Amino acid sequence: MTRTDRFLVPAAGVLVLAGLAAALAAPPDRLQGNLQRLMYVHVPAAWLAYLSFGLTLAASVAWLRRRHERWDRLAASAAEVGVFFTALTIALGAIWGKPVWGVWWTWDPRLVSTAVLLFVYLGYLALRRATVDPVQRARRSAVFGIVASVQIPVVHLSVLWWRSLHQPPTVLRPGDPTIDHVMLAALLLNVVAFTAVFAVALRLRMRLARQDAELAAATTALGRPLAGSAVTVPALTAAAVTAPAVKKTIGDRT
Amino acid sequence: MNGSAGPGEQVRALVGLHLALERRTGEALLVVAPFGAVALLLLPMAVGTDIPLLRQVGPGFYWLVVLLFGVMLTVRHTAEDGPGAQALLAQCGVDPVARAVARVVADAVLLLAFQLVLAPVAVALYDPRIPGWPWLFAVLPLVAIGLAALGALAGAVSSGAPGRALLGPLLVLPLAVPLLLGATQVIEAARYARAPWPWLLLMGLAELLALLATLLTAPSLEETE
Repeated sequence: MTRTDRFLVPAAGVLVLAGLAAALAAPPDRLQGNLQRLMYVHVPAAWLAYLSFGLTLAASVAWLRRRHERWDRLAASAAEVGVFFTALTIALGAIWGKPVWGVWWTWDPRLVSTAVLLFVYLGYLALRRATVDPVQRARRSAVFGIVASVQIPVVHLSVLWWRSLHQPPTVLRPGDPTIDHVMLAALLLNVVAFTAVFAVALRLRMRLARQDAELAAATTALGRPLAGSAVTVPALTAAAVTAPAVKKTIGDRT
Repeated sequence: MNGSAGPGEQVRALVGLHLALERRTGEALLVVAPFGAVALLLLPMAVGTDIPLLRQVGPGFYWLVVLLFGVMLTVRHTAEDGPGAQALLAQCGVDPVARAVARVVADAVLLLAFQLVLAPVAVALYDPRIPGWPWLFAVLPLVAIGLAALGALAGAVSSGAPGRALLGPLLVLPLAVPLLLGATQVIEAARYARAPWPWLLLMGLAELLALLATLLTAPSLEETE
């Protein structure tokens, strides 16, 4: 465990506990009651999905410029964590939507574009799994990681571009946020807490990816014959030594 | 063809090569198109063979089949995709961007032909009312070019990968949503006497992005060969 981990893991734990306390202490929504408290997980999960895929984009660009495997590991790890948080966002949205909208799923632009985002990055992960050579995998997924990022602003702006059942942005908007300030403080605390958890998960995933790569390299090296192993040293057996020709040669030398 | 030929000449020669291969194998029009026609025939059996209902949903089915089966057409493996042919083209000094453009143009031509083969089948099976049918002259090529660009990109990033035939559609289809929306909504807009320009603009923008992505990333992906 590195020094950063020794600080980050307890900090994430404390922040999650504080976030949970703030979410429970915040006033309930006037119309939705306690159901609205799902927001304190749903919104941070959505934010982390954006952050993850944004990191995948940045790391993909960095890989194409620097060609360092660390950027590829970051892109892949961020995409994996992002897929998890996107799926969590959709699942929590469905749980929230059923009592509020009456359905688990509706053909709303925000919902559909988020589902598309999930499938785009599932495709990204499938592409990585399908490519065996590490450099080829890094190059191809970097290219696709950049192309896939087009979907991120589409998801965020979908509620503005099309008529939507989903509420428009309440925090990331020009002017004063249209949310009660106590709720906003609890929400921001949870965003920070989830971001800390995300940082821990990302670091762990990157470390695992590095160890995977090292293991793959070691395994590949194990299967390869050593240089010169095709040439064998002739064995000098007792029978060969006692053969008449050998005896003669030894006799001549003596 | 060699590196001394200009990009335009390279593209022309490669498009000719793609289309000659298609003439020989007939994959697009003799395999994928009948497969699409079978899908158009089977879909009503899943939702009910009610003629007014089919008249209403028929255009949507048509575009869905074009999208799903068109993707198969764009990510199919051709003789030109083999490592030997790729290496030969690279050694001849053929510009990777010219190769990408040629792939997009050839696939767009094939997709357009595919759409034109399926259109009368859909009309015969579903008898749809298409008040804004002249808009199809804009929509059909837009869908063909957009799908060809996305298919060329997916084909390039999944080249040589095991399971490419399955991976390609997974990469293309989520990104092709604007094409499906645009294609279906242009006709809907015409039905209700609304201007279809926003949908055409959406398709055009998605297409431009797909083309730019395909062409700008072609040199980076060339190194893989």
